[in-house]
Amino acid sequence: MGVNDEPVAGMSAETTPAASENSAAVSVPFAPSKVSIDRTVRLPSMTFCLARHAQSGRVFCGGADFGLHSFDPAAEKPETKPLSEVRHSSYVTGVVNAGGTLISGGYDRSLIWWNAETGEQLRKVEGAHDRWIRSLAVSPDGQRLATVADDMRTKIWDTVSGACLLTLEGYDLQTPQGFPSMLYAVCFSADGRRLATGNRTGKVLIRDAGTGEIQQTIEAPVMYTWDPKARRHSIGGIRSLAFSGDGSLLAVGGMGQVGNIDHLEGKSRIEVFRLPTGERVHEIEDSKYKGLVEKLQFSENQKWLLAAGGDNGGFLSAWSLESGKLLAQEKLGNHLHAFEMLSDRTLVTVGHDQASLVTLSAG
Amino acid sequence: MSGQRLIPVPSGLVHPAGVSRRGFLGGAAVGVGGALATDMRGVQGLRAEEIAGELRRGEKHVILLWLAGGASQLETWDPKPGAKTGGPFAAIPTNVSGIQVSELLPKLAQRMHLTAVIRSLNTKIADHGGGADLMERGRPDDPGLRYPDLGAVVAKELGRLESTVPDYVSLYTSTEGRRKGTSGFLGARYAPLFLAENMAPPNTGLHERLTAAEHQDRAALRDLLSKRFTAEHRGSTVGSLNSAYQRVQGMMASAGLFNIEQEPAEVRARYGPTQFGEQCLIARRLVEAGVPFVKVARAWWDSHGQNFETHLELCADLDHCMSVLLDDLQQRGLLEKTLVITLGEFGRTPGINASLGRDHFASAWSCSLSGMGIRGGVVHGATDAEGQTVKDGEASAADLFATILQAVGIDHTHEYMVGSRPTPLADFGSQPIRSVLV
Repeated sequence: MGVNDEPVAGMSAETTPAASENSAAVSVPFAPSKVSIDRTVRLPSMTFCLARHAQSGRVFCGGADFGLHSFDPAAEKPETKPLSEVRHSSYVTGVVNAGGTLISGGYDRSLIWWNAETGEQLRKVEGAHDRWIRSLAVSPDGQRLATVADDMRTKIWDTVSGACLLTLEGYDLQTPQGFPSMLYAVCFSADGRRLATGNRTGKVLIRDAGTGEIQQTIEAPVMYTWDPKARRHSIGGIRSLAFSGDGSLLAVGGMGQVGNIDHLEGKSRIEVFRLPTGERVHEIEDSKYKGLVEKLQFSENQKWLLAAGGDNGGFLSAWSLESGKLLAQEKLGNHLHAFEMLSDRTLVTVGHDQASLVTLSAG
Repeated sequence: MSGQRLIPVPSGLVHPAGVSRRGFLGGAAVGVGGALATDMRGVQGLRAEEIAGELRRGEKHVILLWLAGGASQLETWDPKPGAKTGGPFAAIPTNVSGIQVSELLPKLAQRMHLTAVIRSLNTKIADHGGGADLMERGRPDDPGLRYPDLGAVVAKELGRLESTVPDYVSLYTSTEGRRKGTSGFLGARYAPLFLAENMAPPNTGLHERLTAAEHQDRAALRDLLSKRFTAEHRGSTVGSLNSAYQRVQGMMASAGLFNIEQEPAEVRARYGPTQFGEQCLIARRLVEAGVPFVKVARAWWDSHGQNFETHLELCADLDHCMSVLLDDLQQRGLLEKTLVITLGEFGRTPGINASLGRDHFASAWSCSLSGMGIRGGVVHGATDAEGQTVKDGEASAADLFATILQAVGIDHTHEYMVGSRPTPLADFGSQPIRSVLV
């Protein structure tokens, strides 16, 4: 594998909450063999994103009711409460914690800055993109926000001033078959110097996060799932990306080829590439759980990779990066859209209408 | 007709316009299997007004854009923004005050004055096969009696006696949910020219060793010999063979209609690069040449998973291609003679499942009618705030069938005699939706 075994200093979720949207790493070098669901929290709507707010200890999540809600994951019986009466005007698809300030984005093409304590709307950027905003990522230092949208642009924002620093292109607006394309996934590297984005047809661009210059293009075309004969459309795309802590690996998540794209019936799929060579070191297809891989995260020791997603049902899986074999796996209610580490062995997931507090354990 | 018992159309079959088809044919032979011969010799015996009526038939057309698998009414014609069931899309205003459609149809929104939307279909059958049978035929089959689909009825009622082009063309190139269509008790004469694998009929070119002149000479010789034979040996078989031969010749002559390379590049560019766009252009070429009924099936809208991604992709295709089609028909003076329909076997559930999909739903869904006979800029019916039920103007499949027939000037109450059984063109009790008709 040639994977660096050394932990990345200072990258535990406890000490770098701002890094939680990208590749914040698990600090204790263990390999999980068991996934346990400790508690579940009923959410007010389908939920697509979450951000841990270390300052208040709460988890904020956004979804199909256009608003943000929070709950205390440490509570015995966590209860949700709305952040504000003010909401987006469509689904909320991304939320990040930028130095204590929450920033959310959604299909209404807008970005909103929030005071996490009071719910006050601090800033709203209408028309931040021309089409649906699909995902948000915040740099490890919390200073820059990256957004991707179906206008096929990537934008870099100053999280303090709200200024748009860079508008980056590099993707076609349409698929090769002439249909609208989509730009789903974005993540920063752990050092904040690189940015990866992934689209519907399976194209990954790795850029210099400061200048926007494209450094590398990687293709994962299987994830497109275009059906040229039976149904003449697609259902897949790259839905998740993660850099390893040392930046030597990039994991790409989506779904494998599917016979019936009426449903998310393809095997969940992960491809791992070595950087900067672009060599594909793993193609992982889950034989048990189907559907999209919506979230990926490397362990700090880069020995394993945590993946979440699903079809109707949700899954959380840990894969060995040495063997490509499954280490631990659990079915988690409905389709999972995101998770965040709360500590080195605990995490919170959000899915269709439920959050789960999960423990990873060895032995 | 697979698996169905063919019920011959009796010789006394009455045409809805009041002219007996047999009488119209002047005693020309009726083909086997209920097929009615189209023999030009019959025209010579007609009165002038009958000829005029026959010629007018060729001036009416229907293009059915079949949204196979079932498009979501909430992402097309009946948006519910902000409702729990509404999904992420906004509603946008149209060029008709007070009417909004999904933001996924921005181009069609600017052509709303050409279109009537029916938001209150309650057709009850929510499986693909049963739903498609119902919506294609306007009623469920009876035991022992298979009804013709809309294309076959329109082909029979609007097809021209002397036409050399097919009366009913059906394009369905995707494999999922592929349906050939059926002429039911009308017989094989009104079955569709069904194009599945390619967008042009196969085997319609001349043999490589045969020139066009030689082909014409052969046809002339065959015609001469046929007339001599007919003069000496009267009988239905000869007439039927002549009819079949004439239609084959017509098919060969009209094969070029399927070749969009014959269109200017600018026109092809307008329709766009997708297969659906190319097929919409073929549909325009066919109706321009006189084909009464063209079905273009666009599969596959069955979005049990990722409904919103599916509709982002497919609605863009529908919005663009149908808009260009309406414009093209209008610019050529064809839209007032052509009814354009969007319809599928059902709609989709207001509820959104865990795969972000919508499932089958036939209780409260939508279709659209544009062009001939339609009062544009009208919405008929309404659903409740979440789109779960019809709250106003409920319409059945039979009502829609009757509405379509009336829009193109066919009296839906007229009857075919199937054996001794009077069978109305639209099902018993059906009522055209008057509010959408001019």
